[in-house]
Amino acid sequence: MTYALECKKINKTFGGLNALTDINLQVTEGEILGIIGPNGAGKTTLFNIISGALPPTKGEVFFKGRGLSGMGAPKICRLGIARTYQLVRPFHSLTALENVLVGLCFGRSDPPPREARVAEAMGILEFMGLGGRENKASESLTLVEKKHLEIARALATTPDILLLDEVVSGLTPTEMTRTIDTIRQIQTRGVTVIMIEHVLRVVMELCKRIVVLNYGVQIAEGSPRDVVSDPKVIVAYLGKPESDDKIGQVT
Amino acid sequence: MLPDLIQLLVGGILLGGIYGLAAFGLSITFGVLNVLNLAHGEFLMLGALMGYVLFTALGLNPFISAIAVIPIFIIAGIGFYLLLLKPISEKPPHQLLVASILITLGASLVIEDLTAFFWERPVTGIAYSLPSLDLAGVVVSSTRLLILLFIFFLAFSLQLYLKKTYIGKSIRGITQCLEGAKVVGIPIVLVSALTFGLGVALAASAGVFYVTLFTVTPVMGIPLSVKYMCIVVLGGLGSLVGSVVGGLILGVAESLTAYYFGAEWSPTIAFILLILILIVKPEGLFGTKE
Amino acid sequence: MNWIQKKPFYFIVILLLGVLAALPWLAVSYTLTLVFFLSVYLTLALSYDIVGGYLGYMNLGHSTSFGLGAYTTAILLNHGFSLILALGLAILLAAAFAAIVSYPLFRLRGAYFALATFGLISLIEVVVTNLRDLTGGSGGISTPPGNNLLPAYYLAIVVVLGTMVFSYYLARSQFGLALFSIREDEEVSRSFGVPTSLYKCLALVISSVPASLVGGVYVWNMTYISPHSVFGLEIALSPIVMAMLGGTGTMVGPVFGAIFITLVQEFLWTKVPYFHLTMYGTVLVLLGLFMPGGLVRTQWVRPLVQRLGLGEEIEYFKKS
Repeated sequence: MTYALECKKINKTFGGLNALTDINLQVTEGEILGIIGPNGAGKTTLFNIISGALPPTKGEVFFKGRGLSGMGAPKICRLGIARTYQLVRPFHSLTALENVLVGLCFGRSDPPPREARVAEAMGILEFMGLGGRENKASESLTLVEKKHLEIARALATTPDILLLDEVVSGLTPTEMTRTIDTIRQIQTRGVTVIMIEHVLRVVMELCKRIVVLNYGVQIAEGSPRDVVSDPKVIVAYLGKPESDDKIGQVT
Repeated sequence: MLPDLIQLLVGGILLGGIYGLAAFGLSITFGVLNVLNLAHGEFLMLGALMGYVLFTALGLNPFISAIAVIPIFIIAGIGFYLLLLKPISEKPPHQLLVASILITLGASLVIEDLTAFFWERPVTGIAYSLPSLDLAGVVVSSTRLLILLFIFFLAFSLQLYLKKTYIGKSIRGITQCLEGAKVVGIPIVLVSALTFGLGVALAASAGVFYVTLFTVTPVMGIPLSVKYMCIVVLGGLGSLVGSVVGGLILGVAESLTAYYFGAEWSPTIAFILLILILIVKPEGLFGTKE
Repeated sequence: MNWIQKKPFYFIVILLLGVLAALPWLAVSYTLTLVFFLSVYLTLALSYDIVGGYLGYMNLGHSTSFGLGAYTTAILLNHGFSLILALGLAILLAAAFAAIVSYPLFRLRGAYFALATFGLISLIEVVVTNLRDLTGGSGGISTPPGNNLLPAYYLAIVVVLGTMVFSYYLARSQFGLALFSIREDEEVSRSFGVPTSLYKCLALVISSVPASLVGGVYVWNMTYISPHSVFGLEIALSPIVMAMLGGTGTMVGPVFGAIFITLVQEFLWTKVPYFHLTMYGTVLVLLGLFMPGGLVRTQWVRPLVQRLGLGEEIEYFKKS
């Protein structure tokens, strides 16, 4: 069967450092896959490779059966893979509307006609709850607005696969609930979502399947219940019971 | 034929050593400040002028002058940094770029213009005869050789300094990770100012050697800054060794070009090398990709 | 913005255009020459800002296009080509040069790009000077004499107005949006589909067109140029200072800057014949320290510009 996204033996080294070792991933169309792991596990590096920002040292990414090696980030985006950034990176001095328009005009293989663009961009902004804020410079938005803008900008490219990188970190519980809801709606629109997250609550609610990375290696995979009670995962986050000095990050 | 070639190579290496020393200084300042100092060439010019003045007024030989200018220019560099560069150091990247180019370019123009004025417009060439210190070798002037050795010694001791001393390590710390350096408690402003001072002092020192061999004009600063930038890119952004090697390569290339094609073409060689390295290996000879 | 509110603005613009058109009858030839030079510099400032301000790559070597345009036009005029053909070919040559040179140069960022492009000017100057037979070397080159001030004046006005209009619409176009996105964050821009390498090259080529065109008009009027006059420090830096002083990244910024500096030069330069470079340099330093956004983003000018509907790009360069 053809998966929406498949990573075959992805390896990435930086100088002497192995950021990713033999990552194999299959993502079915329409699912929400969670990727968790301590900081520095290579999760964002994986996103960088999938979206084309970095080439893998070994291995290849396949999108709907099509190999992506050698394709630049612009082309990969137009094929249908879009992403957000862990530390938000809006186009600072451009307005929220302009941010979305960039995605809309350039990120699609068939952009809408001129006259329809602003209306469509506004639609996406409203969907993400940024209705009245379209003319504000994106750097003056609040954190939660910026995070939603990132998602809006990615949605504007009509992606088949949406890569969300820690999209709820820094949000209040209420904001988190709203974002969870929005992601569900995105899924019902037919988008496949892969999300890197530290906040376990979000991952448990949204993802039917989770992959755990630690030091660039896949150490576990399965349903949220199984993964969270897997001893390897617990050790990765908390360290072995007797050694106090290996305290990992847990949100 | 061969003796000519050796003479050329030695001359080229010597020139390259001077370039490399100054480029070394530029690399250090870039690593810490993330800002390419367009005024770097001006400090070489000022160092050269100071070397000239010290020789004619006090009879100081260039080796001593080269050392003497270092503390003077460290202080001048610190002042320059605190006054002009520290105020903009916290800006976001693109604004930092624009502001730093404006400031360092403006400073270059001011330094050039004022120097030209006090050194009697129009431009005065300053020729400087070698001090009668050493026994002359057969093919190679031993004074030149001494200068070259001295430069290498200077560069080498600098590398040691950067690797071993607290200040040196602080500089490298800031270069590699600013946030981490702050967390660890390194006094950023102090170290940055000191680094900048060190960087321009190296340029001034190189300038003293420069004036023993060539004429110096007040307007040579900006073309020199461009050359240093070419060297730093050639050698590899972030690589100190690369800057020295890049300087050597350029020096030899300029010598050879001047001999075979005529002196009027040698200013172009820096740029041609730049374009070549950008096409072939954009991160530079010793640079790393990511 | 309201049509009725815009009426006085349109009225002023039409009045200004009328004055410019009638200037030959209203003023002496010195004034004409002044406006001519202002037009040349403003065209250079506006075209510089397409790459320097919209794209965010400070192309300090912008005057290379100007010089190439001037020399090509001069050589072609001397070989009997008509003005239109000479200008057309000059533009093509400068554009081709920009396209070729963009390939290695855009691998540099920030200050490295700025210095490399700046070095390009001297490189071309050396090449031009050394090709003595073609270009007359350091002695310069003359074109067929003729009193071209009047037509050159009108031509220059047309070019600068055209460049202003073009710059205005570019900032509001899809391509302009792409350029801004590259300026703000090139890597992110790529992840959202913008073909950055292609667009950067296009921007450089586009910016070379007004510059080379106005270079040709310049030499046609002056009937003589030397390497120094077209590749020198003054013609290289003044337009850039104008663009930055006025406000980089906007269409009106360079306009403000050009008018301001031309006026200052007119009244100050002749009274104080020394230290021109020092003054320039000091202005640059002060700009960098206190006002990198330029005049149009200061609290006095900003509201005026925004009210005229010219201020979308003003959000760029917040005070931090």
